[in-house]
Amino acid sequence: MLTFILRRLLITIPMLVAISFLVYLGLELTPGDAVSHMINPEVANSISPEQLAEMREALGLNKSFFERFSIWLFNVVQGNFGHSLSGGVAISTIVLDRLPATLELSIFALLFSTVIGCSLGVISALKRGSPTDSALTVIGMLGVSIPEFFFGLVAILIFALNLGWLPAGGRLLPGYDSFFDRLPHIILPGIVLSLMMTAGVMRYSRSAMLDSLSREFIRTARSKGLPEWRINLIHGFRVALTPVVVLIGFRLPTLIGGSVVIESVFQWPGVGSELIDAVRGSDYPLVMMIALLSVFAVLLASLIVDILTALIDPRVRLG
Amino acid sequence: MANNLALSVKDLKTFFYTNKRCNKAVNGVSFDIKKGKTLGIVGESGCGKSVTASTIMQLLPKLSRIEEGSVTYYSDNGEIRIDQLERDGPEMRAIRGEEIAMIFQDPMTALNPVYTVGYQIEESLKYHTDLNPAERKARVIELLADMGIPLPEKRATEYPHNYSGGMRQRAMIAMAMSCNPKVLIADEPTTALDVTIQAQIFNLMTKLKTENDTAIMLITHDMGVIAELADEVAVMYMGNIVEAGTVDDVLRRPQHPYTRALLDSIPVLGRGKDQDIKSIRGATPDPYERPIGCQFAPRCDFATEACNVMPDEEFLSDTHRVSCARYKEIFENA
Ligand SMILES: Nc1ncnc2c1ncn2[C@@H]1O[C@H](COP(=O)(O)OP(=O)(O)OP(=O)(O)O)[C@@H](O)[C@H]1O
Ligand SMILES: [Mg+2]
Repeated sequence: MLTFILRRLLITIPMLVAISFLVYLGLELTPGDAVSHMINPEVANSISPEQLAEMREALGLNKSFFERFSIWLFNVVQGNFGHSLSGGVAISTIVLDRLPATLELSIFALLFSTVIGCSLGVISALKRGSPTDSALTVIGMLGVSIPEFFFGLVAILIFALNLGWLPAGGRLLPGYDSFFDRLPHIILPGIVLSLMMTAGVMRYSRSAMLDSLSREFIRTARSKGLPEWRINLIHGFRVALTPVVVLIGFRLPTLIGGSVVIESVFQWPGVGSELIDAVRGSDYPLVMMIALLSVFAVLLASLIVDILTALIDPRVRLG
Repeated sequence: MANNLALSVKDLKTFFYTNKRCNKAVNGVSFDIKKGKTLGIVGESGCGKSVTASTIMQLLPKLSRIEEGSVTYYSDNGEIRIDQLERDGPEMRAIRGEEIAMIFQDPMTALNPVYTVGYQIEESLKYHTDLNPAERKARVIELLADMGIPLPEKRATEYPHNYSGGMRQRAMIAMAMSCNPKVLIADEPTTALDVTIQAQIFNLMTKLKTENDTAIMLITHDMGVIAELADEVAVMYMGNIVEAGTVDDVLRRPQHPYTRALLDSIPVLGRGKDQDIKSIRGATPDPYERPIGCQFAPRCDFATEACNVMPDEEFLSDTHRVSCARYKEIFENA
């Protein structure tokens, strides 16, 4: 198991380096360099080219591309992500400030879609052909085909504005930060963010469950005189779980991408809404670093999914 | 009379309903299985052997049902009409695995790939015995050892994919025998295995039969296996038993043209390669468009008008019965 994890980590590292390289290349291709951003446009004319060259020299900007890339990479590995253009705040500070909100939202959405998606999928499979099954199938189709921001706006309209049950946006009010103060805020954005994934997980776990229930070991289990719940869950669902976990892993990037949209629809103060602000303000270093961090998050998530798959399927462990 | 019987099936009819068409997969089958004896069931593919077995265990697919007839299990506490029990209800579950157990054709797919073999055997013990977890573990190891699996302590903690085909079938038998069932149904238990392993599995089953007085229903399409292992034999064709009796009755004095054709179609060891092996002409009819009378008539060399009605079953002796309108005439000519 340990060698499996190590090997999997070793594959991840070159991928990370390659992606960092692309991000750095992107930064290089954006107009201007650090020096041009450091200078106030109003005084730009009073600075001589020699002074500019000196500043570039001091910042190491005249070194070769690869030299600069390695220095940059070395800094990134140490957590030094550079500075934002607007206000010159360290990017790591901004991200650390915004990350908890995003993690809170994504983990809520992940848990919701896994638990609700699997339960509905299993119910659908067990009641195959019944009205419940047909209704769930239709809902699932709608869920995967309607964009999330649309659900978001409709949800705000109905549950926040018309019914007034839940707040329309934000994460917490100053002074109100107990768990129960926060819960109402996360319900709308969390559920809306997870809808597409929930529908996907539901459809997939339904078919995985049907497949597993048609296998011969189910008949063996029944021939042993086991109760139905045990046959369906301990034997049927347990085997259907492996492909479902793999699917959840594949879909994680959509969750991370979706959070950008949902965070801005619900004014959720996370990394996603920061990204939108950064794009609006042409803050390239911040945009690129957030992109790099999301790639990192996706890779980390897929690593965790692989380890989980190996843990739940004894046949994978050898490979 | 019933006290030496373990299971008795009377006029059993099990039909499948697909696309509004009806497949009379088992169409009036009767037989008894005696305690400590082996009943062999032979017949071509598709003749309804597995459906008969599934009917006894109530393991039929949803689109099929018992149409008529009875399945009676003689338990220690009296007769139980299995056909009248709710399919997956508590009474049926109490019988499955504990009173009647089953071994399936393909050991590769019959075990759950994500649980250890030990866990899957232990599951039966958990639901049918009062043993505590430690006793159950010990019993699992004992069962695996009885089945001739080396290093049973280690093997119990391994997954089915760590087992070879022969070992998986032994594990299946260990699972089936774990609660000392009175009846063991083996549906082609060795079809997927090679010949040496086949012999080992059969030795094991014979040992279990003599030691535990288990009644065995052995489904196969191999007459050689029947000759070796069975005490009685029933020959099935298209949902009917065409001939049944003791192994001597049926193999030495076959009456039905189908039984004879079946016996003629197997090569006999030692007779050399010039021997006359006859295959049965034609193919089994479409199960949805069955002949009205004798099911075998379209392929039978002796068929006449008399065969257009379903023949009655006639007893040649206490044990030997045959369903053929013309068996007397044919027998004289032979
Ligand atoms: N699940 C099912 N759905 C529909 N029809 C079935 C099903 N199982 C069996 N049948 C039909 O029932 C009939 C008897 O099949 P059965 O499986 O009992 O044959 P068998 O004698 O066991 O053959 P084999 O030697 O190939 O195992 C066949 O006509 C088959 O098509
Ligand atoms: Mg069969």
